[in-house]
Amino acid sequence: MNRAGNSKKRPPPSNTPPAGKHRATGNPTPSPPVGTLEDEFVDEDVFMDEGDEESLILRDMEEREAVSARSSTWARPPLSPAYLSNSQNIIFQQLEIDYVIRESHKELLPGSSGQAAVIRIFGVTREGHSVCCYVHGFEPYFYIACPPGMGPDDISHFHQILEGRMRESNKNASVPKFVRHIEMVQKRSIMYYQQQKSQTFLKITVALPTMVASCRGILDRGIHIDGLGMKSFQTYESNIVFALRFMVDRDIVGGNWIEVPTGKYKKDARTLSYCQLEFHCLYSDLISHAAEGEYSKMAPFRVLSFDIECAGRKGHFPEAKHDPVIQIANLVTLQGEDQPFVRNVMTLKSCAPIVGVDVMSFETEREVLLAWRDFIRDVDPDIIIGYNICKFDLPYLIERAATLGIDEFPLLGRVKNSRVRVRDSTFSSRQQGTRESKETTIEGRFQFDLFQAILRDYKLSSYSLNSVSAHFLSEQKEDVHHSIITDLQNGNAETRRRLAVYCLKDAYLPQRLLDKLMYIYNYVEMARVTGVPISFLLARGQSIKVLSQLLRKSKQKNLVLPNAKQSGSEQGTYEGATVLEAKTGFYEKPIATLDFASLYPSIMMAYNLCYCTLVTPEDVRKLNLSPEQINKTPSGETFVKQSLQKGILPEILEELIAARKRAKADLKEAKDPLEKAVLDGRQLALKISANSVYGFTGATIGQLPCLEISSSVTSYGRQMIEQTKKFVEDKFTTLGGYEYNAEVIYGDTDSVMVQFGVSDVEAAMNLGREAAEYISGTFIKFDKMDTKGIETVRRDNCLLVKNLVTESLHKILIDRDVPGAAEYVKNTISDLLMNRIDLSLLVITKGLTKTGDDYEVKSAHGELAERMRKRDAATAPNVGDRVPYVIIKAAKGAKAYERSEDPIYVLQNNIPIDPNYYLENQISKPLLRIFEPVLKNASKELLHGSHTRSISITTPSNSGIMKFAKKQLSCVGCKVPISNGTLCQRCKGREAELYCKNVSQVSDLEEVFGRLWTQCQECQGSLHQDVLCTSRDCPIFYRRMKAQKDMAVAKQQLDRWSF
Amino acid sequence: MESMEIDSDKVQQRKQSNYSYLDERFEIQKEMYRGQQYSQIYFARLHLMRTLLYSFAPTWKPHLPVCKVLGLEEGKECIIVGTLFKHMKLKPCVLDEYSKERSVTPLVKPHNFMHPDDNLILEDESGRVKLGGSALSPAIYVTGVVVALHGKETSAGEFFVEDVLEAGLPPQIERPLDLQEDKYVLLLSGLCIGSTSSNPLQFQLLVDHITGHLGDDEEIGLASQIVHVVIAGNSVEFPRKLFTGQNLASKDQSTLYEPIKELDIMLNQIAAGVSVDIMPGLNDPANFALPQQPLNRCLFPGSAPYNTFRSCTNPHSFDVDNIRFLGTSGQNIDDLEKYSEAESKLDFVERTLRWRHLAPTAPNTLGCYPFTDRDPFLIETCPHVYFVGNQDKYDNRLLKGSEGQLVRLICIPKFCETGIAVAVNLRNLECHTISFSTQIS
Repeated sequence: MNRAGNSKKRPPPSNTPPAGKHRATGNPTPSPPVGTLEDEFVDEDVFMDEGDEESLILRDMEEREAVSARSSTWARPPLSPAYLSNSQNIIFQQLEIDYVIRESHKELLPGSSGQAAVIRIFGVTREGHSVCCYVHGFEPYFYIACPPGMGPDDISHFHQILEGRMRESNKNASVPKFVRHIEMVQKRSIMYYQQQKSQTFLKITVALPTMVASCRGILDRGIHIDGLGMKSFQTYESNIVFALRFMVDRDIVGGNWIEVPTGKYKKDARTLSYCQLEFHCLYSDLISHAAEGEYSKMAPFRVLSFDIECAGRKGHFPEAKHDPVIQIANLVTLQGEDQPFVRNVMTLKSCAPIVGVDVMSFETEREVLLAWRDFIRDVDPDIIIGYNICKFDLPYLIERAATLGIDEFPLLGRVKNSRVRVRDSTFSSRQQGTRESKETTIEGRFQFDLFQAILRDYKLSSYSLNSVSAHFLSEQKEDVHHSIITDLQNGNAETRRRLAVYCLKDAYLPQRLLDKLMYIYNYVEMARVTGVPISFLLARGQSIKVLSQLLRKSKQKNLVLPNAKQSGSEQGTYEGATVLEAKTGFYEKPIATLDFASLYPSIMMAYNLCYCTLVTPEDVRKLNLSPEQINKTPSGETFVKQSLQKGILPEILEELIAARKRAKADLKEAKDPLEKAVLDGRQLALKISANSVYGFTGATIGQLPCLEISSSVTSYGRQMIEQTKKFVEDKFTTLGGYEYNAEVIYGDTDSVMVQFGVSDVEAAMNLGREAAEYISGTFIKFDKMDTKGIETVRRDNCLLVKNLVTESLHKILIDRDVPGAAEYVKNTISDLLMNRIDLSLLVITKGLTKTGDDYEVKSAHGELAERMRKRDAATAPNVGDRVPYVIIKAAKGAKAYERSEDPIYVLQNNIPIDPNYYLENQISKPLLRIFEPVLKNASKELLHGSHTRSISITTPSNSGIMKFAKKQLSCVGCKVPISNGTLCQRCKGREAELYCKNVSQVSDLEEVFGRLWTQCQECQGSLHQDVLCTSRDCPIFYRRMKAQKDMAVAKQQLDRWSF
Repeated sequence: MESMEIDSDKVQQRKQSNYSYLDERFEIQKEMYRGQQYSQIYFARLHLMRTLLYSFAPTWKPHLPVCKVLGLEEGKECIIVGTLFKHMKLKPCVLDEYSKERSVTPLVKPHNFMHPDDNLILEDESGRVKLGGSALSPAIYVTGVVVALHGKETSAGEFFVEDVLEAGLPPQIERPLDLQEDKYVLLLSGLCIGSTSSNPLQFQLLVDHITGHLGDDEEIGLASQIVHVVIAGNSVEFPRKLFTGQNLASKDQSTLYEPIKELDIMLNQIAAGVSVDIMPGLNDPANFALPQQPLNRCLFPGSAPYNTFRSCTNPHSFDVDNIRFLGTSGQNIDDLEKYSEAESKLDFVERTLRWRHLAPTAPNTLGCYPFTDRDPFLIETCPHVYFVGNQDKYDNRLLKGSEGQLVRLICIPKFCETGIAVAVNLRNLECHTISFSTQIS
């Protein structure tokens, strides 16, 4: 994904680019405030290369008629005469905003010369025309506080000194002037409550965005000024990326509509991009439309979803250095339509036709790659989506083209002559561990990798495309292992067609996910609400969103934000949220949950907590504030009340909450499903944004941390929970005239659970409502009891635990059938011990974040991955994969990590699983937690009852001793060895019974066999072809394998009766 | 075949007939589970049916070219032949067991999974195409039927169907015309011995009737005309639940074994007088997948020694006096009822004959052995009598084919619920019921 501020840039030819900085991902909201990693935002100047490489491409295009013949059906609608004659206002929805360095525009800015930063906006008009808008005249700047004693006359001198220092540190920049101007402005710092309205600041405008940082460095270190001596300066707003600076100043929010009136824009004779409408304008001529009414709609963006297949060598994961790209499947959909208008697949070597799909076959890989490039150029997608495209598909294509020496391939961007660049970056967060990642920059096209988005937004047990589609689309996808792909490719046109169908499905699913999860709507709305470019949302954390809102608000209030590094707050930790000790027990009477609607935002608003209302301890003494004017928070900080100074954060929050209310009201009114999608995305974005404000103030390495605020918030929160408990328990008593004494049984961050003692739900709700009214000043709403947060959602438990817990809870809570639940548990445990449990229920999955050697402590899945690598490197899991395993029986005293095994291997070799491990390490704790309050002697009853007496263990077929064992015919009834026939003499009389038993086993297996295999046929979407799928994420994969194996054994057994 | 002594002085001779057994193709002998999948049975089915349908094409639509799914061109009219696949929204899916949300109430009535959004897809080994147009009703067809379609591909990539050709009734062996006397084959099903609805008295009456121990001379005369008896499935109630792996308690053993013993005793009596075929059904101690293999002879120590006793497969096919019988214990029709619609059960029966396939839904929704080189359920020869066991009520219909084929379609009711057995007259294919209902009205 793009690191927007840091991307789409090309280093000046002579310079080496700065190494990609370590990056953190955003945290889920509300983010844990302490120790949050946040990235540093830096601008990086990219110099426009205006040389001419086009001839190369054009020559090449003529040869590629297969693609150009189709381009008429792919191309964007032609421009109307009004557009061509420049007699129409250009209105477009922007998707990306960045900047480039180029010579300043002579016509628009006659006065200036040299290099300048030019803002570049990509977007789409309502008619579907692509737009590239160059905005001139906006210059990077920041503030410093004007040192006391410096007057307007001293500025030019100061300017000279600064210019001199800048020249020293930027030797090879070709700008006539580094510091463009310095002017005096009246502003106020956002930090601390101040009585005077404003003070003097110096606004320093520099030539290029990167110079902000270098100038800040100079001022940080201090410069010598005559008369004042050596002086270092606190800078303000010097850490804001240029694009965001521009957007804040021009009131542009991410994904909104921008209008440039006719006459105000100029089209250059020579265009720099492939966009249909490319023009230049002055920044002051842009009109930014708020996302309301007509302008809340979405332009018809072109969304390309693609997937590639590579033919790997046996035993290796495909590598671009060696393995060819054999197929590329593409689907292009117009935003808002439900069917793609282009469906095609490009294949290496012939491929049989596919209904409804344009199959293009080529003889060489070079042709495939170039066809794809031409396709991208012609179809001109605004958004490129796929599954894991950022880490795999795109870098692979680029690297492969480089290996093959196809220089003209990586011209995929919208900007002429600009090559796609790939660079490595390390992606590191507490949440996901360290991952190697790649960044591919395609100028003007927004990449949206569904894998990254889902990884970030959802907690799932597996992130393979298959399990993600199963989860969100309730659809299993056929999974062809990459080791089979080469065989299919080396077959004939039919087998390659098979592969193409698979490849197309992989391209189609990301599009379905995008639609289903409403990603476009949600992200555009989030960008609109928070005001950042859309590309920031995936690549950046939460804090940039809050910063953007803070900047916008500060600008209205004439406030400036100090640079984070120098913020005066003490770095440290503070006490977090409170959790009331839960009173364990089984509550048969209904429990009312008092849920403080958005507690933290409410506190910040109620107590006017903000940077600009915080009073420093000295000021508390100095300013002589009366107690009515201030609030002292439970954590000991002082904030002034609204009457003196309204906080900016509360104001932002109020607006967000009011906007959410409005969006929800509109949502109710809305009829059109698209409009609904927009509004729903908006209200969600508003909710998340409101919740992330608190986290922003607590992020110690963030943009503007202020622990005084965050610790005050949590201290109020704690107080609120405790007060509520007290209120409820004091008021709802038998003494107070109520039927029962109420009891608070649990409370956490923002909710309190109360047992009022009444036995029907309606009465409990009424009492709850009464309590809510009683606890004034806070918003309380009601919710139903939920089983969230219990073992059912823990990812590293096996499915059996999840099923057991869910079913038991259901039986106990909903059916109110405790004995039934216990019986169910006992049966399941008995099944486990008798080896009758479906293996897939026992599979434990863990993510492999490092290779085996890197783990300090040996882990079950790490060890297994190593062992599997030794068996077959091709099918072994790689770093980043989730490793499925089961725990098997092994020698006494073997460590748990030695007992992990690949489920397939277990099935193939009849390796016995270790039921005791599952009983003791997986099942027992969660079960006892549920049953202890409701069942006497739960442990004894459930885990050690008579049902645990009989056990059955399979005989492994690969263990040492079994290789020497000889199979001896034995009686089906009692296993006594016999020489021939089916039964021993003693069992002859039980013939019918034993036969019935045998036949019923076969019968059950046959039923399962049929259902499983026909389901797999259904998934793969073909009746006449064998199922190839090897998706280990599919819940029935192991079962299907087992059914096939068991069936063969059972049939053989049954055949012994035919005498 | 055999004569018997009757109490009266007058000895009536049971009529004779020639029986030949035609179940070889339903038998699974050496075939093994070796990891084969279901694609092969579909392939075999498509291959045979396509050859047949192709041969009809020139007379059906002489001017139209025949295409494969892959060869379709937009707007070009043609004939395609392939296997239908019905995409069904409500079709239960084994994956549902794993779904996260538990639904409190089942969403559909358990007996039918139809939904207005169901749609048909035609598939051959080259690919599949979605079918449009109103010529082909998704309510009638099911997955697995092979048909020829006339139509053209639309711009949306669908195949717009204008006309449908089914294989129609297969050719029939000539019915012997020299049958002068009435001879009956008695069909019954669903004895359900051991279930609560089974009534031992009813069954005893039936046995006594067949063996000529009941009624006056006239009745005995009728009984003597019964030349063959077929028991079409579900003879005992077989409690599968008892077999969850644990060793059986002795009490369970008897509940399990008693019905089989009782059945053996009854069969013993019948077999002593007339030839009898027993077919396995869904509830019998037999395997699950079609074709169900014969009930093991070890279950019938009493009757098995008789050469008049035959344990047969389901489906079952045989000739009596050159009259061809074909029938099942009902699973094929019950499954059709779940996945398609018709006004009566006989319509389903008729459809399978017109599709020339006994169980099109196998293997998709009906359990079936994964055959590798053949599809035993194809109906190559039209039977004279086509019966289906274990239906809710008795029904029959005489079907006339375009080439003069005459087929009697029969739904045999469950005996335990109705007390009805069905007698088919070999001479004219007429049939009537014999009721042993002991309900005193």
